[in-house]
Amino acid sequence: MSDGSPRDIDRLIDELVVQDITRRRLLRGAGTGLLGLSFLAACGGQGLEKGGGATTRTEPAAIAKGEVSETLSFSNWPLYIDVNERTKRRPTLDKFQREFGTRVKYTEEINDNTEFFGKVQPQLSRGSSGGRDLFVVTDWMAARMIQLGYVQKLDKAELANVDENLLDALREPGFDPQRDFSVPWQSGMTGIAYRRDLTGGDLESVNDLFNDDFKGKVTMLTEMRDSVGLTMLGMGNDPAEDDNPAALEAIQKIKQASDSGQIRRFTGNDFTKDLLKGDAWVSVAFSGDSIQLQADNPDIRFLRPDEGTMLWSDNMMVPVGAPNAYTAQKMMNFVYDPEIQADIAAYVNYVTPVQGVKEVIAEDDPDLAEEPLIFPSEDDLEKLRIFRSLSAKEDDELNKAFQAVVGA
Amino acid sequence: MLSRHRGILPWLLLGPGLAWLLLFFLIPLYFMGRVSLVEGSLLAGFEFTWRFENYIEAISTYQPQLVRSLVYAALATGLAFLIGYPLAYAIAFRGGRWRTALLLVVVLPFFTTYLVRTLAWQTILDDASPAVAILQAVGLVPEGGRLLATTTAVVAGITYNFLPFMILPLYAALERLDARMLEAAHDLYGNRRAVLWRVTLPLTAPGIVAGSLLTFIPAAGDFINAELLGTPRQYMIGNVIQSRYLELTDYPTAAALSFTLMALILVLVLVWARVAGTESLMGSSEP
Repeated sequence: MSDGSPRDIDRLIDELVVQDITRRRLLRGAGTGLLGLSFLAACGGQGLEKGGGATTRTEPAAIAKGEVSETLSFSNWPLYIDVNERTKRRPTLDKFQREFGTRVKYTEEINDNTEFFGKVQPQLSRGSSGGRDLFVVTDWMAARMIQLGYVQKLDKAELANVDENLLDALREPGFDPQRDFSVPWQSGMTGIAYRRDLTGGDLESVNDLFNDDFKGKVTMLTEMRDSVGLTMLGMGNDPAEDDNPAALEAIQKIKQASDSGQIRRFTGNDFTKDLLKGDAWVSVAFSGDSIQLQADNPDIRFLRPDEGTMLWSDNMMVPVGAPNAYTAQKMMNFVYDPEIQADIAAYVNYVTPVQGVKEVIAEDDPDLAEEPLIFPSEDDLEKLRIFRSLSAKEDDELNKAFQAVVGA
Repeated sequence: MLSRHRGILPWLLLGPGLAWLLLFFLIPLYFMGRVSLVEGSLLAGFEFTWRFENYIEAISTYQPQLVRSLVYAALATGLAFLIGYPLAYAIAFRGGRWRTALLLVVVLPFFTTYLVRTLAWQTILDDASPAVAILQAVGLVPEGGRLLATTTAVVAGITYNFLPFMILPLYAALERLDARMLEAAHDLYGNRRAVLWRVTLPLTAPGIVAGSLLTFIPAAGDFINAELLGTPRQYMIGNVIQSRYLELTDYPTAAALSFTLMALILVLVLVWARVAGTESLMGSSEP
């Protein structure tokens, strides 16, 4: 569902410029009458068939110290950094430039973890990042990137702010126990958003997703960990601890609900549209979008169910072959300054992974600082569950089962 | 001088097209073929082992979606013909000086992207839409029923999205139709129905064949309509390929399914061309 936008074309041109060596190789190939076939072979077949990034599997060295570069290529999701609505500039990036003299090429090219992976995998498997210095992917994709050796080990000495301010709950994720490869960009909760006017009252439980009264008016997310995790909580299981059989049981339950027509469809971020139109009354939903939805329609509520709420993070990573890896770490550290992070958090409304931001925001906007969906309290954090880290085999098993329900 | 040029010129003219096809069709096709026969996983690495079981497994697992794709595409092609033929006929014979304007109206939706058009249908068909209310009032949609996220919505969406591909070739064929032929048919005491069946339709058969191919082939590989207007129960083979490739990084199965779809369409097209195509190209030689 990539829309073949100008953005992709920009990216392609960037790549052609950045991948100077590859291009020269292509030209030389053409010169010797090979018509660039070798280049295509490198793009198409080899990258895939080698598959596992075995080339970089030896114990990696951390990113070396270096010079701060003139530019930095940062790939992120849309609407995930503060924008000055009037000037259309991104204040955080401007501040970074003022401090380090680095111009940030910020590309909102990631709409979907798997699509992004499909796009960059052939390059990464050849040790090239396509010019990217920094990208942001969700926990489970971060796990895959690490397993495949597609990302560089970070130099902790460069990340003092991260060490100081990262939320305790996010310090030791299963997929990267020392945070050697990943630093959370923003975190978020997955709970249930519902239309109070249509459901006829407040909801309390995950199991309202399976309530007959809402038949055909329920949507779930295509993100396996969100939909399955919540369903597990509703069944009295713990997605942070319990192993595959419990998750498979939840998938079975979702399948029955899908087959019976209880679940209308599976969505990405577009659950918002279904809720606003009233096609969906009860949706498995992300917290950040829900805050926005509440502003559009006060009848929309975000429920953190009694049974628990899922917590996830999108993580900054430095891909192999990144031209400006050292500067990328500067950016990671920069956004962990609570003063800087406050602007981002106030704009994107997800859970900020940086401690000390609440106090900064409270000075300007006390109401926002009390928003539990952005700054969960200690009690709230207790109830948040992070889907446990899966081995490649377990991941494959659950994904196949879940895809059979939502995709085919 | 001239004769030497004659030897090279056709190749020069063909060159860009052939190079394009070689680079962006044949070579990717070769790699896709290779990928469809590898064994392994992304994490463990893939190895080329001529693993034909990929095809057997893929086809047996996804037979329902393969069949569904062909059925939906056939339905959409049929509907597009039933809607498109009268329309093209009206424009060609009754359009007068408005012909160009009317044709423009037919292709006008194509000035926006495919995705936006399909998203618009989400709004047109949503539960609170007037369209659904009217259909409920006449009893075509049961009370409390819905259009969005049903098979009807998916087939309707495909039909709509590929309709111009049907109309334009039909129009081209109808427009070329020699009005004197129709006069002659009437002079020979053919009634309207006989003229339509024995003169107009056979003479415009090349347009029908072209239109149906242009509609059927992309429709069979479509996945946008099923994704946006349907549910997993309407998913077509394109959705499966996307899911296998992107979600599960199961590249061999995705490649095998792509080849299977290509082969199926190729066979169907050859059969169709044989049944309808040659006969139509021969004109109305049949009785």
